[in-house]
Formats: sequence, structure tokens, C-alpha cells
Amino acid sequence: MKQFLMGNQVLAKAALDAGAKIMFGYPITPSTEILETWAKFCLKDKSLSILQTEDEMAAGFGVIGACLAGVPAFTATAGPGNILMQDAFVMAEALRIPMVSMIVQRGGMSTSTVIYSQEEVRLTCFGGNSEGFRIVYSTFNLQELYDYTLKAFQVAWKYRWPTFILADGYQGKMMGEIEISNFELPISNLKPILTKGANLRNCYNLEEEIGEIIVNYSDEYNKVRGEIEEYEEYQVENAKVILLAHGIVAAAAKVAVDELRKKGGSIGLFRPITLRPFPAQAATKILNKAEKIIVLESAIGQLAELFKAELFGLNTTLIEINKPAVGFTPEEIIKTIVSLQ
Amino acid sequence: MRKILIAGEGGQGIQAIAEILARAAFLESKQALYIPNFGVEQRGGVSLAFVTIDSQPIVYPKFEKADILAILSERSWERIKNYVGLQTKIIKGPAVEGGKSSNLPPKVWNVVVLGKINKLGKVISQENLIKALEKRFAKQFEKNPDLRKLDIRALTEV
Amino acid sequence: MDNLPRFPKCYKAESKPHKFCPGCGHPIVLKMLGQVIDEMGIADKVVFMVDIGCSLLAWDYFDLPTTQTHHGRTVPTAVGFKMADPEKIVIAYMGDGGAYAIGLQHTLTTCLRNNPITTIVVNNTLYAMTGGQLAPTTIDNEVTTTTPGGKTEFTTLKGPELLRTIAKPEAYFESLKNKVLSKTGSYLKNKVLSKTGSYLARGSTDKPLVLKQYLMKAIRSQMAGNYSFVEALSVCPTNWKTDAKKTIQRIQELEKEFQLGEF
Repeated sequence: MKQFLMGNQVLAKAALDAGAKIMFGYPITPSTEILETWAKFCLKDKSLSILQTEDEMAAGFGVIGACLAGVPAFTATAGPGNILMQDAFVMAEALRIPMVSMIVQRGGMSTSTVIYSQEEVRLTCFGGNSEGFRIVYSTFNLQELYDYTLKAFQVAWKYRWPTFILADGYQGKMMGEIEISNFELPISNLKPILTKGANLRNCYNLEEEIGEIIVNYSDEYNKVRGEIEEYEEYQVENAKVILLAHGIVAAAAKVAVDELRKKGGSIGLFRPITLRPFPAQAATKILNKAEKIIVLESAIGQLAELFKAELFGLNTTLIEINKPAVGFTPEEIIKTIVSLQ
Repeated sequence: MRKILIAGEGGQGIQAIAEILARAAFLESKQALYIPNFGVEQRGGVSLAFVTIDSQPIVYPKFEKADILAILSERSWERIKNYVGLQTKIIKGPAVEGGKSSNLPPKVWNVVVLGKINKLGKVISQENLIKALEKRFAKQFEKNPDLRKLDIRALTEV
Repeated sequence: MDNLPRFPKCYKAESKPHKFCPGCGHPIVLKMLGQVIDEMGIADKVVFMVDIGCSLLAWDYFDLPTTQTHHGRTVPTAVGFKMADPEKIVIAYMGDGGAYAIGLQHTLTTCLRNNPITTIVVNNTLYAMTGGQLAPTTIDNEVTTTTPGGKTEFTTLKGPELLRTIAKPEAYFESLKNKVLSKTGSYLKNKVLSKTGSYLARGSTDKPLVLKQYLMKAIRSQMAGNYSFVEALSVCPTNWKTDAKKTIQRIQELEKEFQLGEF
């Protein structure tokens, strides 16, 4: 069924359709409408709950508490809230809690703007004192906000890594048409975690104890990453230049690719959808064939960092176009590409 | 494709009319994407709204140059002059014209501008525009039916 | 052998002897809690959560679902769990740092909201696991490793008193003085709980059986849908650097500073 909704409303609706029962959150622009929409859902449906917490730490740990009881719960935040929630996120990594969190990126660096950036990539992927055993989906339009939220709950409870929808203030606040499926997708593997016989800890005594656990997690993560990685390759066949972008920047880049192809350009786009695990093998295979890779992001190198190590040794030229906290229109991308030829 | 930029100050009702415009396009089975753009001040400050309407799905919510620019406050000019291109048609809200261009009270001047945008751009049918208006202001109209009459007048009296 | 006190049934035998220091107050609190859980017959309902600090050593103390959390975050985790599964009895167990410093806003807000979880705070007036630093409950002129000249910083924090100013009104239960506690917890059927709000108390490891009563009432309070909080004044001979005699002396002096009773 087609509806006209704001991105944040879509996220809340998707969580509902995914089977989430409780939302914990603290108001922070540009994510606040998610909490407000969920509050309205709770008025109509008594099986749902909401808790506006005293701060983001309580929100994150509240989600963990609910997940321990076997109830799908989620939260949403941005910027400074994302920072405070790392406390909870890293414990979710350690205890394998299937918490789902929506990050609606706002300006980077401290309080910044309440509007937009792609400066929370590093934080969302690797913000804990750990190796980033997380799953991060970077969406690029209203429909993906819906589809990937549904997927996030499935994936979180299946693989037991904290899972994120990494959107941004543009996607969160824009209003447009979206297809809502309206059928519920039951979460498989849904059961209480903290049951009799479970004595969970995250504090260890000696180096070797925790070292072994981290290695085991890493092995498991690498074993399943192939099932989780997602990307989009657009017009990359025989492309001399391949753009690399994620999120809404990739949306603008797609338009740019179409326009440039019409004018005879040999250009394509590689869009990672999971930033974590990053589709490194696919990226290397595809990008290796191009002469030039141009990375576009509303940050300084946060996306580029995710794969530069994988591309080490390739003969392709890498150009990074960084616009921290500022968006790219399709026209701008076209001008930039043309000027680089 | 129609690119409409509405600019003014917080409190002038810019976001409301942008949402109405985009929703009206949706009701007409067109593709529309609307995004607000403003800072933290609840009043004053600069409030922008980008509305893009097309027959194809719209991918990116902002644009370089507007086809139609509606400006509701003189003070927001600085912020949006870069969006004015050679083809941009400019509409001035009653506040910018010193309140002389409209007999209606200031609280509906945003809807006056909405009417002007639609007349100039021939974007949406009047019928769907009114439907979208009624949805957006449903609660307000329920409390105050006179407001509905006033808003319809503002929309249609161009 | 038969005369020796038995381990509570809900203890986890494999983790004994426990890892607390000799003379520590935690095992006294935990034993009282264990007995309460046994006597009320609620072992299949209890979910136990511990903070960071010496309380974390209780992670495998009980044969009950237990989790450690991050420092100060035990209370919000308990709140989230209880919202998801209100049938369980959720206990958040921590020290004075987790409750009154890094977790103070969670302690306060959870009391303010009257969330039906039970918070147990073991207060030994300093941060023990990290070596004996200043705590919100350090008393005036007390020497700690970060107040080597004696504490002159902020006023000593009195937890239950503070919480009473914001807690759901109406105080405490009828005294259990005259009631005989049945082993199967059948007195629960006689509960007269409808007039009660949040339950707040301070006990002491020096008076364990009174503390036990407070813990039992606290759990009953949760079962009636209210917030409950028990501070257990405790000892830390390791960081106090006191022998057995001086340790007991010191807690008895602390009982003059930190009023015992129900609030």
C-alpha cells in the first residue's frame, strides 16, 4: 500500500511491522519523530511499550534488558546521543545481544548541526573499545529505510550482533511516497537470552581469557559475513571510472552516472549497503577493473577507510572527494567528475 | 521536473505548505519529495523547504537551482540567493511586500503563497491541493471551522 | 555437620568458595538475599543483575539467570528487562559508585518513575575494587586514596533519604515482627500491600537478620508493582585496612552517620 510519509515515520512503522514491541529513546534531532511516532502507536496498540529515558545510556541498556528477556526492542539516536550509546553498543557486542538501533546522522563534530552528515560512519561501525562486531546497513532512500529495518530485526536475532540502520537527517526528514507491505514478518530465533543456567559476564581476569573470546568472535564474524554483506553495483561493466559512495550521496551519484552515461561517459557506481561487514571482496573485484575510483562522502575519509586496506596494491587511482557535513547534489557530482577528466 | 524552494523564517508556516504541496502531488499519483532545512531556533532563523515534483521517482531531495522560488521573509534572501538561476521564477510573500498584496490576515499568508506557487507552476489540481490542505490542518479545522474557510480563500484567491 | 547453616538452595555450588575478600560484607548481603529467595520460593522468577565493582564478583554466585552490565547501567538494564517480562522479579545489585555516582541519574529516575524493580546497594563508603577511592558516601574526613588528607569535598550522599523526597508517596509495610514466615512463602497470600508506594530502607551487614527483612519487603514491593530500594551498609576491611575488631567498630560508627530503618 502506497503511503506518503516522513523517513522517521517510515522507520517507526518498519520496526512495528518487523515485530518490535518496545522502543527506548531520548529525543534528539533529527531522530525524534521516530520516538514520537512510536508513542502514537502505543496509544492504539496495548501490546507495545515505550520508555523515554533520562539519557541515551539508559535507552541503550534498556534495549539490552528487553532483548535479554526475548522481546525485540530498539532505539534511535544521532550525533552526541550515538556517542553516549556506545557504552551499550559495545556491551551488546560482548554479550551477543540482538539490539537494533537507528542512527539518523546529523552534523559531525560535537553538537554541530541538527541536519545532516555522514560523519558517524566510524562511530557506528567501530565506536566501542572493540573490533566492531556489528552489522551496519546504510540506506539511501525512503524505501530502503523500510526494507532494511525489517531485515535488521531478522538479521540481529539470527546472527546476534548489534545491528544498525545508518541513515541521516535528510532521509529522516524527507517526505515522499513509499510502499508499506503491512504484513508482519515473524522474527526467527526469537527467545529469551537470560534464562536459568545463564550467568553472563563481560568482565574477565587475565589477558588470555578475553583474547580467546575475541578471536572466537572474530572467526565467527568472518565465517558468516558472506551471508550478510550487501552492495549495489550500477553500470560498472567496462566502466573506466567507478564512483564509490553510500547512503544518500550514492543516490545523487546514481543520477550523476545516468546523466554522464547519456553523454557518453564510461562511468559506474559501487554502493556498499552493509558498511559492516564491508563487502570487501566484491568491492576489490569490481573496483580493480576500473582506471579510477572516486570516493564521494559527506565526511573526511570515513567511507574510504573501510576499504582502503583491501585495495592496497591495486593499480587503480583513488581520488577522495570529501565534503564533511555537506551534501552532494547530482549536478555537483557531474561537475566534479567532468573537472577531474 | 519541478524544483520548488520556499524560504522564510521559523514560524511563518513554510514547512506546512511544503508538505501540503508534496502530499497533493502524491494524491495526484505524481512523484514528490519534500525536505525541510533549518537550524535550531524555533522562531526567527532561516527556514527552507525543498519540494521536487516529477513523473519519475525522485532520488535526491535537494537541488542546485530552483524553478520556482517563493520567499516569505526579506531576511532569508542571503541564505537562498545561490539557488536562483537564470530561469528561476520568484514569488514574494505578502510579508515581503509590506503586507500590501493581501487582504487576508498574516496567519494565512503562507497559504496565499502556496496558492501563488501552484498558479505559477501549474503543478497540482486545485482539488488535490485542497485535499492535502485539509489533511494537514485537520485538527486545527476541527477546532476552528472558520479557519478552514479562511485557508481555502487564501488558496484560491490568487 | 547438621548444625552448620546451609547454603541457600539458589546458590551456585561450583562458584564456592566465593571470590570476595575475607571479611567482606557482600557475602552477608548475598546470603540474606539467597535465604529470602529460598523462603519465598521465587527462584524460578528471579533475574539478577550486577554492576561493575566488587558486585561483579557475584556474576556466578547464584544459580539464577544473572548478567553483569556496565558501570552504573545495571538499573536501566533491569528496567528494560522488567518492561519486557513483568512476571520476573528483577534485582539490580551494585555498590555505592554504581548507584550514587556514575549511575545516579538512573537510580533517581527509576525511583521517580516507580519502575517495579528492586535495587540493592552495598555501601562501604568507598570504591573498593579499584583500590579504595572517594565515593559519594565517603564520610567527612575519611581517608581514601583520592582524599589522602581526609574528605572535605561534597556532602555525604544519603541514598534512601534522597529517594524518599522523590519516591511515590506512602511509606512502608506493616511490620513483619509478629508474623511467622512460612518456608513456602505462603504468607504472600495474606499480603496487605494496597496502600504502599515505593519501599526504601537501609540495613546493615552488622544486623543481617534485619537486613533480611528489608530485602523480603523490597521484593514484595516489586511484586505489588512498586519500586524498591535497599541500601546495605557494609564493610571493607581490605581497603579500610582494619582488623576484625576495628572493622566491626567502624561499621557501628557508620550506623550513627547512616540511619538504619525504613524510609
